Amino acid sequence: MKVYRLRIAVQFVCFILLVYGGLFLIDLGSRLPTFSCAYMDDRGGGCFFIGFQHMMNRPLGEFLGDAGIRLLKALGIFALWAVVLNKAWCGWVCPFGFLQDMMTKLRTFIGVDVSRFAWMTRTRYKSVKYILLVLMILIPLGMANSVFGLPTLPRDWSVAFCQICPARLILPIFNGDFSQIYVDFSGSVRMILTSLGVILTGLFFTTAFVKRRFLCSYCPMLAALSLFDKIGLTSLKKNGQRCTRCGNCSRACPMEIREIEEEKTLSNLVTQDCTLCLRCVEVCPEDKALQATFCGVPIFTATQEGFLKRQGLPGENKTEKEV
Amino acid sequence: MDAQEKRRRLANKVKVNLAMTVREIFDAIEDEPSRPQNMAYFDRIFKTFTDGGKGAVPREEGRKLIGTYCLFVPEEIIYAAGGQPVRLCAGSYDSTEVGEEFLPDVACPMVKSEMGFSALPVLSFYQDCSLVALPASCDWKTKMGAIMEEHAPVMMMDMPRIKESEASREMWLSEIKRFKREVEKVTGVKVNRRRLREAIRLVQRAQVEFDRFHAIRKADATVISGRDALEVLNAYFYDHAESWTAAMSLLNDELEERIRNKTSVTKPKAVRLMLTGSPMVFPNWKIPTVIEELGGALVADEFCTSNRYLHDKVAVDEGSVNDMLHAIADRYLLPCTCPIFSTTVDRRDRLLQLVEDHRVEGVIYHTLKGCHPYDLETKLTETLLRDNGIPMLRIETDYSPQDVEQLRTRIEAFMETLTGKRRG
Repeated sequence: MKVYRLRIAVQFVCFILLVYGGLFLIDLGSRLPTFSCAYMDDRGGGCFFIGFQHMMNRPLGEFLGDAGIRLLKALGIFALWAVVLNKAWCGWVCPFGFLQDMMTKLRTFIGVDVSRFAWMTRTRYKSVKYILLVLMILIPLGMANSVFGLPTLPRDWSVAFCQICPARLILPIFNGDFSQIYVDFSGSVRMILTSLGVILTGLFFTTAFVKRRFLCSYCPMLAALSLFDKIGLTSLKKNGQRCTRCGNCSRACPMEIREIEEEKTLSNLVTQDCTLCLRCVEVCPEDKALQATFCGVPIFTATQEGFLKRQGLPGENKTEKEV
Repeated sequence: MDAQEKRRRLANKVKVNLAMTVREIFDAIEDEPSRPQNMAYFDRIFKTFTDGGKGAVPREEGRKLIGTYCLFVPEEIIYAAGGQPVRLCAGSYDSTEVGEEFLPDVACPMVKSEMGFSALPVLSFYQDCSLVALPASCDWKTKMGAIMEEHAPVMMMDMPRIKESEASREMWLSEIKRFKREVEKVTGVKVNRRRLREAIRLVQRAQVEFDRFHAIRKADATVISGRDALEVLNAYFYDHAESWTAAMSLLNDELEERIRNKTSVTKPKAVRLMLTGSPMVFPNWKIPTVIEELGGALVADEFCTSNRYLHDKVAVDEGSVNDMLHAIADRYLLPCTCPIFSTTVDRRDRLLQLVEDHRVEGVIYHTLKGCHPYDLETKLTETLLRDNGIPMLRIETDYSPQDVEQLRTRIEAFMETLTGKRRG
């Protein structure tokens, strides 16, 4: 099985479903743990974050009442989605992730080499996604609540994350809507946030020719999903004894995760940056060293034979023998 | 008598001795019943050693010979540049005597033997190499380059010892790139994307057959002797990957047939043993020969000259030249279980996996006198195996045939303990 082909097919279907689903009256709700941007008119389901930011914009006291119940319900639906597919939302569903993978295809097609972060740089930037996630909780709270009598944050901070999110600028384009590409000069906060959005969109196009899935490393959705790494039904397992630490997995990993190669004792290898794209399992040449599971049942296992097949063998070998 | 004449005579002496050794080995083999027929292809390669190694290495289309030592030199690059790799690691007692002139007494017999073949025209492919890539793996190999320089066009390759370090990996990748440039200079062929991809496929095809062979050795019936298993992998030192793969495919077909017919080269309940430790190269087959004469079943080995040689695979990811070079660099460095590396984890897990897969009952740990890296790991390995309920016998020896009888006694006693253990 060539998993990357299957993955592209699934990503493509999900892309159509999430970007154009509305045209076919499909609605998967607005609590999806993936960047199915709510600014898309024809969307088939909406990103969790926009609603979440609105819901957090409440005086603390209100969370004891209706607002709290609404929030818990939203979080519950989000958690349910997250537990079932785990990070596969990133690797297999996310339309923005799919676009980045397509840019990677373009890069390899024109023959530009991928570059990698130095190990320390990679480690240093790991916290960015968590910081963004925490800010996404604190900023809306700060708009509705005053801390130590300080003034609350102005309205310009409303859906601050959406203002910087490059998916808001890019995904609506697929619905023929270019109106999100702007810098808002109505206030300094808005100007800075929307400018950041434009800059990140620029980075989306430029970094694609340097790195794989550059923006995913900083995505707060990845951070939110990583809270379910241990309990997710979809999982990635490793058998340390069978691993030779050949490094094929970490070299092919679009997220440059080193643990997948280094770890010899842990069995659950869904690490914080893992997107469950399963590229590591594809390039693993050791029998049963890596394994993707769903509810504990293996769904994709590394084998010597499968490895060589995916490397384009022994197709020709067989014909040689027959001749 | 002038030095030239002296050298010629010495070369002749080694040639005659080596021819005798090789003939004796194959005469004894001929008497063996139930040996796979397709071993004949591999025998031919080693039988050329009686005649200066003429025809051991295929030299079609005037391909330049690139000599390699250890298992760190990527032959994919050599094939891609239109060269023919030949691994020069040697196991001949007859040439160690010559090597002793250049190296200290405590040096391991392997480097002595290699030095002997480099200094004297005994086996032609040692003199025919246009480039000899020598990784600075152990201390002996590190200094051998300088000692060998006047006899061979040596290119030293720096070896990192700590696989877990980022700097090590970057350094090794740049060494691989330097090697590529050197090979290109020698052959005059530029390694491009298509040629490199093809070369990787060539080796991967050989690995398909190696994997098959490895799986065959897991069977209950010992369908091939451990010595023959050493021989087929040893033949890969000299042969072109394509011809080797074809011969291997035929042998594997025959062996799979044997599994179906339960044709074993040992008695049904023979003790299942594994060999590991310092490399064993033709004609240094004394230990496997003794084991099998005593009725033991050699079902696995973990040598850089055998099982480890073709196991690990290059994984092409994005497919650019740089991507492939990176993949090649990783393949030759990271999964290698050679004890020159600081870590012992990879080797330990590999041994345990082999013990499990091949249902090994006892391990024979071979160290060559002067082979410090393997010697250093003896204790750790012994403890590891003991903790897993597998007895280990340590044998320290060299290439000399003098201690064969003594070895026989020790191995026999070891095998008796194993049979005793079986009875409980």
